[in-house]
Amino acid sequence: MARYGMVIDLDRCTGCGACVTACKAENNVAIVSEDDAKMGRTMFWMKMLVGYEGEYPNIKMKFIPRLCFECDKPPCIKVCPVRATYKNEDGLVAQIYPQCIGCRYCMAACPYTVKVFNWYRYVPEKPMSNCINPDVSVRPKGVVEKCTFCIHRLQKAKELAQAEHRKMREGDYVPACMQVCPAKAFYFGDLDNPQNRVTEAMRDVRGFTLLEDLGTDPKVHYLHAK
Amino acid sequence: MRDIIIGSVAFLLALVISSVWFIHARDARSEVLQPIQFNHKLMIEKTGFTCMGCHKLVKTNARAGIPNIETCGMCHSQMMGKSNEENKVVAYVRQNKQIPWRTIYYVPDYVYFSHRRHVGIAKLKCSVCHGAIASMTTPPRKQFLAIKMQNCIDCHEKYKASTDCYACHR
Repeated sequence: MARYGMVIDLDRCTGCGACVTACKAENNVAIVSEDDAKMGRTMFWMKMLVGYEGEYPNIKMKFIPRLCFECDKPPCIKVCPVRATYKNEDGLVAQIYPQCIGCRYCMAACPYTVKVFNWYRYVPEKPMSNCINPDVSVRPKGVVEKCTFCIHRLQKAKELAQAEHRKMREGDYVPACMQVCPAKAFYFGDLDNPQNRVTEAMRDVRGFTLLEDLGTDPKVHYLHAK
Repeated sequence: MRDIIIGSVAFLLALVISSVWFIHARDARSEVLQPIQFNHKLMIEKTGFTCMGCHKLVKTNARAGIPNIETCGMCHSQMMGKSNEENKVVAYVRQNKQIPWRTIYYVPDYVYFSHRRHVGIAKLKCSVCHGAIASMTTPPRKQFLAIKMQNCIDCHEKYKASTDCYACHR
C-alpha cells in the first residue's frame, strides 16, 4: 500500500493563489456570502496563509499554502465518535460525509484548523452552478469536510492502472493544487517509493513541518531556506 | 379526557397518512415504466449481440452507456418486425429524437461506482447485479439487486475486494 505525501517548496511559491482557486473549483467547495465570511465561516480546503516580515518600507511577504496535512498520527481521528474520519490504507485521513454526524470534535482537535463545517448546503449561483465537478459530491448541510488529497483522482488513477495491468506510476495521480501550480512548487507521490521526487524533496535540509512539536507527523512538508 | 381522545385520534390519523404515503412513495420509486417495452431476449436471439454490443462502454468506462438513437437507427430506420414497440422505436428514429429511458440503477453522488472496475477488471457477470436480464422479454421495473451499501459490502467481503470507505466514497 502506498503512503501519499506532499512537499511544498516555499522558496518557489509566489503566492499566486492558483492552488486555492483550483481546489475550490475541483472539490465544489462552497463560496460563502459576505455575512458568513464575517462570522468566520469561509470555506477553504487549501488556504493561503500570508505573513509579513520586516518593517515598512522593507516588507517581505511570506506565503504558506495550507491544506490537510494528512498526519501519520492524526489527532482528529481519535475524537471522532462515529469513525467518519479515520486513516486509510493509503495513509490518507478519510472524511466520509454520509457517516459524519457533524459534532465537530475533529475540528476542535485539529491543530491546523483545516476542517470546515457546512452550515448550509452549497447551492451555487449562476454561473458557478454550471461548474459543479461531477466527480466530487456536494456535501450536505451539517457535516465536516476537509481536503481529501483529491481522492476521486486516486480512485480513477488506481482503476486505470489496474485496467492496464500495471502498477501506479509517479504522476498518475496528482491533486488539483499541484497540477495548476505555475511555479512547480509542489512535489507529490508515494513516500514509500525512494525513486519518487517527493521522497527526495522530503530529505531536503530546508524541510520543516508546521507545529512539529505536537508529534502529529504531517505528511505535508515545507521547504524554506532560513 | 376529551383532549386525550382527540390527541390519540389525531395521532392515529397521522400514522395512517404517513404509512400510506411511505408505502406509495416506495412503490412509486421502485416501479419504473420505460417508454418502450424493450425485449432484451429477442434482441439477443435475433442479432447475436452480447451486452457489450449496445452497452459499449461497460468495460472501459464508469458508466455502461445506453445506446443512442443513431445506434438504434442503424437497423430500425424502418420496420423489421411487426411489433407495436418497434413501431415506437422507428418513430423516434424518424423524428431523430432520443428515447427518454428512465434510470433504475443509480448511486448517490458521494459514491463512485464504476462498471470498468466491476466488469472490466473484476470480470463480474452483468447478471450479478442486473439479474437474468438477457432472458427478459420486458425491461425491468425495479432494481434486481437493491443498490444499498450493505449489498455492496456483502459482495466486497465475499470477493475480498477493498472495504475501505475511500475505495468508493468521495
